[in-house]
Amino acid sequence: MNEEKNRQIYEKYLEATHRLGRLSCALTLVLLIAAPFVMGAYLGAMPDLGAFGKGFASIGLVYFVSCVAEYLIYVPMLGAGGSYLAFITGNLINMKIPCAVNARDIVGAKSGTAENEIIATLSIATSSLVTILVLALGVLLLIPLQPVLQSPALQPAFDNVVPALFGAMACKYYRHNGRVACPTLLLMAALFMLVPALTGSTSFMIIPSGAAAIGLAYLFYRRDAARA
Amino acid sequence: MGILSQLNSPVIFLICGSIVLVVALMCVVFAVRAYRAGKAIGMDVTKMKRTIVASATFAVLPSVGILLGVIALSGSLGTPWPWLRLSVIGALHYETQVAEAAAEAVGISGLSASQMTAKAFSTIALLMSVCIIWGMVFSLFTCKRYTKKLGSGAAGQEKKKSALAGFGDIAMTAMFIGLVSAYLGSYIGGFVSGEGLFRFAGSWLPLAVALVGAAAMRLFLWARERFDAGWLDSFSIAGSMLIAMASAIFLGRLG
Repeated sequence: MNEEKNRQIYEKYLEATHRLGRLSCALTLVLLIAAPFVMGAYLGAMPDLGAFGKGFASIGLVYFVSCVAEYLIYVPMLGAGGSYLAFITGNLINMKIPCAVNARDIVGAKSGTAENEIIATLSIATSSLVTILVLALGVLLLIPLQPVLQSPALQPAFDNVVPALFGAMACKYYRHNGRVACPTLLLMAALFMLVPALTGSTSFMIIPSGAAAIGLAYLFYRRDAARA
Repeated sequence: MGILSQLNSPVIFLICGSIVLVVALMCVVFAVRAYRAGKAIGMDVTKMKRTIVASATFAVLPSVGILLGVIALSGSLGTPWPWLRLSVIGALHYETQVAEAAAEAVGISGLSASQMTAKAFSTIALLMSVCIIWGMVFSLFTCKRYTKKLGSGAAGQEKKKSALAGFGDIAMTAMFIGLVSAYLGSYIGGFVSGEGLFRFAGSWLPLAVALVGAAAMRLFLWARERFDAGWLDSFSIAGSMLIAMASAIFLGRLG
């Protein structure tokens, strides 16, 4: 009798969570897409939709595929409430997923149970609030430092954010994947050396580069599976 | 008024801060509802409190790492927009890559305050917003059906997870290898042929900065393994980036 009552409460909770989750996602989507236009109106320069389309064609596809994979893999781990909140607040791989898994391990909740649903939601909501708080405090402290951050002496540092990121990521991703990474890097380096004009379209070159890397990875995957 | 002063103006702070506040409220609502539902279905309150404490403490270090990311991006995009992006939906490596691709699409040679314009910024901001919304879009339209389907068969769920984790994980890693290779290849090509085919007279700075970033990351990975310091993972990307960016100041003087 008690179990039946709990089941009913939980189902009612889940139903309301889906309603709230969808509403929250829709609201966040509207806010995030409206923000560049509102800022553009304030700055007197609306987004260039042609350039947007060009940029989206080059990089959007990569993130679409990545988001599909993340969605399919993480929703079973996080449950409904946790998933809505995690996809709204981001930082999945570097924080939300390990945080939710850690909480689940601490209390010993099993995937697909009501307990897991509640624990994952609590964990993701708490970690998101901590991030929001830490970032807000940090940004507040950064305001007096703006003149220093904008000084010409520091500009070379800020002009090289992207090479700094890709160098760090190369070490992380290439480390255990040399047989995919080396030929892909050699191919791309050769292309850019032979056709220097491509440097202006590096983001477009992600598509052939990604295709080459995935193709190579698939060949090795098939070969390793055949050997096993 | 310079572009960075405009991007750091109170109005931009207000726009971004309002969205951060809305998302913070959502987190509070989800947490309170989950806690009440847990109590109502008879879950151990101590377990829920432990979850809250463990998650809060777990999140502090990665959050500081994310803050370093805000600092890294603030030099080219101002502070409020990276603050919003990294508080809501984004992640440091995604945001930087998309911003760079967007910068290229709007016709500036890279993510740099010296070339940033108001139009470039609003276009970059829109592209950053749209490129990474898919998780939310899928949640909006399919999460209910997907979670119901998962709940209908635990065995199927495990099978699906392991199949997805098979080539899916490998493909995702390969995709990022492709992405990184495209940019590193462009730095090599820029140095070797940037000022004429195989003249080795182009700018070597991006390549050198990337190498410093890789070396710093290697050091982080070594320290993590050597001292079994898992907490270092939260700082490895942002820390490596900041070290490499700092090196650009000194390397730039040599060039």
